[in-house]
Amino acid sequence: MSFDTTQNPLAGVGQINPGEKPADVHPPVRPAVFADRARRFDALAAGHALGDYLRLLGRISALQHECLRDHPAVALPTADALARALEFSMPPVPVTGWPRDPAWRTHLKHIVAGLRTDATPAVAAVLDAIDAADEAELERLADAVLAADYAVEGAAGRLPLIAAALQVYWTHMACAPELAGLKRLDVDNVCPCCGSLPVTSVLRIGYEVANLRYLHCSICNTEWNLTRARCVSCGELQKISYRHIEGSQGSVRAECCEACHGYLKIVQQDKDPLVDPVADDLASLTLDLLVDEAGFERTGPNPLFIPGNTGEA
Amino acid sequence: MNVSRRGFFKVCAAGMSGSSLVAMGFAPTAALAEVRQFKLAHTTETRNTCPYCSVSCGLLVYSVGDGAKNTKAKVIHIEGDPDHPVNRGTLCPKGAGLLDFISSPARLKYPEVREAGTNEWKRISWDEAYARITRLMKDDRDANFIEKNADGVTVNRWLSTGFLAASASPSEAGYITHKVVRNLGMLAFDNQARV
Repeated sequence: MSFDTTQNPLAGVGQINPGEKPADVHPPVRPAVFADRARRFDALAAGHALGDYLRLLGRISALQHECLRDHPAVALPTADALARALEFSMPPVPVTGWPRDPAWRTHLKHIVAGLRTDATPAVAAVLDAIDAADEAELERLADAVLAADYAVEGAAGRLPLIAAALQVYWTHMACAPELAGLKRLDVDNVCPCCGSLPVTSVLRIGYEVANLRYLHCSICNTEWNLTRARCVSCGELQKISYRHIEGSQGSVRAECCEACHGYLKIVQQDKDPLVDPVADDLASLTLDLLVDEAGFERTGPNPLFIPGNTGEA
Repeated sequence: MNVSRRGFFKVCAAGMSGSSLVAMGFAPTAALAEVRQFKLAHTTETRNTCPYCSVSCGLLVYSVGDGAKNTKAKVIHIEGDPDHPVNRGTLCPKGAGLLDFISSPARLKYPEVREAGTNEWKRISWDEAYARITRLMKDDRDANFIEKNADGVTVNRWLSTGFLAASASPSEAGYITHKVVRNLGMLAFDNQARV
């Protein structure tokens, strides 16, 4: 009796196929990306010291989901421009330089309107400030967010909402079939789709990507592969260590580099399958505070949280 | 990246009052108080190569301890390196059991000898071990070296001693091993450099 492997549903599972390596670049998962994030924020808010803050971020993510779901058609790079970007290893829709479609301001309006209903006085003041700003002002703030240059006087409250709207627009473009098949750039910590810095890295589970590390874009939610136990910022391979909060399950750790003294958090699906690269980052600001005290500097932003300017920048 | 720009991402207690969190009306007091209750745990992940066979699977070795003087680093877990092109994160049962190999009480950590006629292993120094191995190799080679075969053709064979080398060696070590062993005329030789 012969055993026919083509009839075996488990044939190939757990086997290494030397011909197939999972893609280096994964576009955002549509439509789930913001809806999953909203659920994760809500789940993390329960019993959290900053629970109300996380619930607000969950509301913002849910509104982002609505915007992405009903996103209008927008211009994408031409076939020529795309081919050129790939040839010269450049992001095809760079956050600095790409002519932004005004659709992002429609998202901003939707998010502001959505938050109005039960806004606290402080949130309402932020929403009023956005409503009062003219187009030029909003575009100026958008430039600041996209350049990850958050030192805009008096805008700390507004920038996360501007960022949320821009994330929807860029995520929509990153999901476009035309932009499928992007390759990693020559620089480790720059998004191959939009050229932004990563917010965190995520250790994935699943058949093909098990235990591989992907950097998650802080703007367009694209993920790209980077070798594990390697400094995201300077490429150091030897002097890497991890810090997590003692007694936690270790699903969020800070990957610290003793060479450049930078760190970026890594969220691990093998420890908690529901981790989200953005939500779990903001639910673990305590880890940032402790790692900062230990002498490491964060190397990637989370534009939904604008840290105060300490005057050292 | 622009290192000077990192200052803008700095999440610290001093910057909290000017953060978006406070601008949106939330009090960071509880979170800042929490910081005092928590401590950081320190772990590392180190790449290595499985020592068992010539496939030379990539490993990730997890350990705890910050390397400070009064603490001892301890290996807590070993798994296949998902980035390694040979094994893509997988390991065979022997490789998957490497943690027990490391903490095994029977693990060989230094040269030992069991003299003829005894059943006891005795610890010796590396110098003694090298001197002893070379002496035995030389005596055996002098006694058993075959210069010519039955037809009188020069063959320079040494068949009575064999050599087994390690899988985790780099190409250079494999090359040197090969040169040394073959120069002696040894034929029974596996330097595990097949892959």
